[in-house]
Amino acid sequence: MGYADPSSSRDLLGNRTLFFIFICAFALVTLLQQILYGRNYIKRGLQFSWQSGEEMGNWTGIFNFTDDGAVKTGSDAGARYFEFYEGPLDFNSSKCLELRQDIIDVKVLSMVKETDLFDRWKSLQICKWEMNVTEANMFKSQLSKCCNAPSFLFTTQKNTPLGTKLRYEVDTSGIFQISPEIFKIFPKDMPYYRSQFKKCAVIGNGGILKNSKCGKEIDNADFVFRCNLPPISDKYLADVGMKTDVVTINPSIITERFQKLEKWRKPFYDVLQGYENASILLPAFYNTRNTDVSIRVKYVLDDFESQQSVYYFHPQYLINVSRFWLIQGVRAKRISSGLILVTAALELCDEVHLYGFWGFPMNPSGIFITHHYYDNVKPRPGFHAMPSEIFNFIHMHSKGILRVHTGTCF
Amino acid sequence: MKCPRTRLPVGFGALAVSVLCWLYVFPVERLPDEKELVREVLQRGRAWSRNLSALQGFRKQLNDCCHPGHLFSVTKVNTPLGVNLWFDGEFLHSLIIENSTYSLFPQDTPFKLPLKRCSVVGNGGILKGSRCGKQIDEADFVIRCNLPPLTSGYTLDVGTKTQLVTVNPSIIEKRFQNLLWSRKSFVESLKVYKSSYVYLPAFSMRHGTEPSLRAYYTLADFSANQTVLFANPNFLRNVGKFWKNKGVHSKRLSTGLFMASAALSLCEEVTVYGFWPFQIDLKGSPIRHHYYDDVPPLSGFHSMPEEFLQLWLLHKSGILRVQLGQCTPEEPQ
Repeated sequence: MGYADPSSSRDLLGNRTLFFIFICAFALVTLLQQILYGRNYIKRGLQFSWQSGEEMGNWTGIFNFTDDGAVKTGSDAGARYFEFYEGPLDFNSSKCLELRQDIIDVKVLSMVKETDLFDRWKSLQICKWEMNVTEANMFKSQLSKCCNAPSFLFTTQKNTPLGTKLRYEVDTSGIFQISPEIFKIFPKDMPYYRSQFKKCAVIGNGGILKNSKCGKEIDNADFVFRCNLPPISDKYLADVGMKTDVVTINPSIITERFQKLEKWRKPFYDVLQGYENASILLPAFYNTRNTDVSIRVKYVLDDFESQQSVYYFHPQYLINVSRFWLIQGVRAKRISSGLILVTAALELCDEVHLYGFWGFPMNPSGIFITHHYYDNVKPRPGFHAMPSEIFNFIHMHSKGILRVHTGTCF
Repeated sequence: MKCPRTRLPVGFGALAVSVLCWLYVFPVERLPDEKELVREVLQRGRAWSRNLSALQGFRKQLNDCCHPGHLFSVTKVNTPLGVNLWFDGEFLHSLIIENSTYSLFPQDTPFKLPLKRCSVVGNGGILKGSRCGKQIDEADFVIRCNLPPLTSGYTLDVGTKTQLVTVNPSIIEKRFQNLLWSRKSFVESLKVYKSSYVYLPAFSMRHGTEPSLRAYYTLADFSANQTVLFANPNFLRNVGKFWKNKGVHSKRLSTGLFMASAALSLCEEVTVYGFWPFQIDLKGSPIRHHYYDDVPPLSGFHSMPEEFLQLWLLHKSGILRVQLGQCTPEEPQ
């Protein structure tokens, strides 16, 4: 071997070098990914509910059931309520006290089987409901200490002076400074005061409302809250009524259904017209992505000279409410807008009635129901702890603080 | 790699190229001085007669290069679904026409051709005090540029009639916040043009598309009287090339010249008003930049004097009429 290739000794693309290059490339790609997507990845993790399908979310997807089961129920839904009736038993009769205690004894949702809870709830239906004034007042005073909806529910010119630096609820690093233009669109002061309304109805959009025939009863309430722009067309009139005083809109709905209002605006306006004089309530300062879209809603209504008012949740109120419910055991990334409205209603109204709040895939009789009364689109799992929220409502119902309607109305 | 021999020629080559570029950008034949032009304009006076054969020749040239009758605006006929529309004001930027955009186009160019008498109204300061309003309004088709104000203070000078008004996307961006917030002011400010066509160069600049489409949505949402037409980038590009051959060196032609070229082909008789890119009027007294304000444009984008020179050449050969100075003499006080 007199002749030696000069490059042979250098191991130009030998195994070690290739391996080294491979490792370097891998490291580089990983690093790039970190840089490019790292922040977004973290952000995406935090964009829960308002952003991603809260409007679809009335329960977390912890129950596995098939679509067929849910769809099937539509047909035989008429028969499912026969065992519920406004019972003859007094709310404070000894039998009812016992039944209520049965439910209150269930401290944590995981203590009992779901069917067991359903059974206890079902047997409670034979009792009439009446408000327990002392319990209710105690609860309301707790709420006024923590959250104080009558002065902090919305951003107003009073509680958010010009130049305030609002901290977003989720993007805690994000700060929104109130400029004169934004300040101008806030209401002067809160339009509502403590215990202003006698009887309020808060409408969740649960499939349990379907065929409930509760429309008339809902319309009889003094003040009606609705969540996430639900359809209230003639088709649903008998079940959900049409009176609406406050309706919340999730900015993700605007982003998906109305292209952020950057294109056509009339369709959105027409939808809002369906709610007549209802005020629009938006979580503009929940995270940074919501702000522009939410503020645009105000401009749309002004442009079309609508009488409807637009309000924005005060981020501090949202923070306080989630903290309050976290202590009560609602452990979710995010509480639902239904829960926020119920919390507000408890302060603004004497008597609060909940319709369409049922976070389980089947109704108390064990028959599968659709997810919403208008569709069966399931939410992305893991954002809301619907069962735990409903469990709290059932507790409160048993204590006489508010009333949960899960049966048919007559 | 060392090639010491090639250095010198390469250097010379580079120098030659840069000199050529320099000559291209700043041509040697300079424009006539504004004083010179004023003298010439005054010399010619009001005398102007139409030269039909020259007009026909020029119209044929225009039709051959740009087909204004067919290509003036984007229509369903000249821009089928799925076509790749290349922007004329950008380097290699295009947009594929999808159904959502396609549905915004009219079926065909909506004018009844040929139009009879047309006025193209530029916004030059020379219009102020010109009392041309009546004469402008007498035309059958009045074209205005870039949303000019038509409030009562200007009616005497610029008239009120409008059949086509152009809107530059940059105006939408500056004056109407890109139509992302309140849109009412945009609709209100268009009301003065009654039921005219709104001509938007949506497919010229990358950043102009969204605002222009939004202008369409806005007018549709409010069911306004105006009809939106989108400028066809192919037309604009061809007209740009046409004038470049004739010696207009600028990044981009002004809307006024685009409109004047379109009018020359679409109308039988064209008079242009308010085209005067100089600081002094015919009497030598200083004038403002626009008839409504004195905001100078970005320098180096348009070359108005060159454009004016072309129009003046057309005027001299009897192809169109450039109205300078007063239309009706001032009444004695």
